[in-house]
Amino acid sequence: MKTFTRELNGTTIVDVAGDIDMSTSPGFRTTLLDSLKKTHRLAVNLTDVRYVDSSGIASLVEVLKAARNTDKRLVLFGLNRPVQEVLQLTRLTKIFEIRKTEKEALEVPQEG
Amino acid sequence: MSCDEQNAPAAPRPREAGGSLDLQLRLPSDPRLLAVVRCTVAEFAAVCGFKDDQCRGITLAVDEALSNIIRHAYKNRCDQEIEMRLQASPECLQVTFIDRGEPVDRSKCCAQPLDAVALGGRGTHLIRQIMDEVCYERVPGGNRLRLKKCLPQARPTP
Repeated sequence: MKTFTRELNGTTIVDVAGDIDMSTSPGFRTTLLDSLKKTHRLAVNLTDVRYVDSSGIASLVEVLKAARNTDKRLVLFGLNRPVQEVLQLTRLTKIFEIRKTEKEALEVPQEG
Repeated sequence: MSCDEQNAPAAPRPREAGGSLDLQLRLPSDPRLLAVVRCTVAEFAAVCGFKDDQCRGITLAVDEALSNIIRHAYKNRCDQEIEMRLQASPECLQVTFIDRGEPVDRSKCCAQPLDAVALGGRGTHLIRQIMDEVCYERVPGGNRLRLKKCLPQARPTP
């Protein structure tokens, strides 16, 4: 698994590629939590993620909790079929803010 | 008699082959090998006749089972042995794991309510959701886990 972090319009985007499993999820978790500390809006690009297991999902849940606790925004985008399937099986599609494209992920939600 | 490409009989399709398949692996409890095992399981399930999404599900279940063995039975030690056996019949695919680690905590392997914000415990739920049968057993000196997935009904012959 590889990650690449960039900034765009005030949002930190983490591009993730490869497999997220027991051996790679600790690095995935650390990258996301470190990125979240330095930003108010974190977008995770999962377009090139071929596989994610429950440890990867647990990492995403942990980052979501950290974002909620600090009043920050976490959005996931570019979910391919294997990632969607695991989120559905774990019944977590509703708790994450999920967008199809990077453009949609960068849109600031309208308040009220 | 020569057996060139033209004369060779067409390879039987997996569902038409009808025979059983048996693959046994002996692997160390090293998480870096999970990716290798996933490739093997995905291909094995495809050969058995499962559809793409079912192959992904079976692969995920096997990966979660191995991760649980490494994490819980072997306490993240990477040099312990796991025996894994994939057996396919015309009716089902069965995967058996044997480890020599700590006993399985029954409270963790039985279905519990899925907490949306819990950080752990989803692996077992995934296994139970994907596979048709899940059986944990304590055996002398270790644990045995058997996972079973039934094959979809045979397609009617055209």
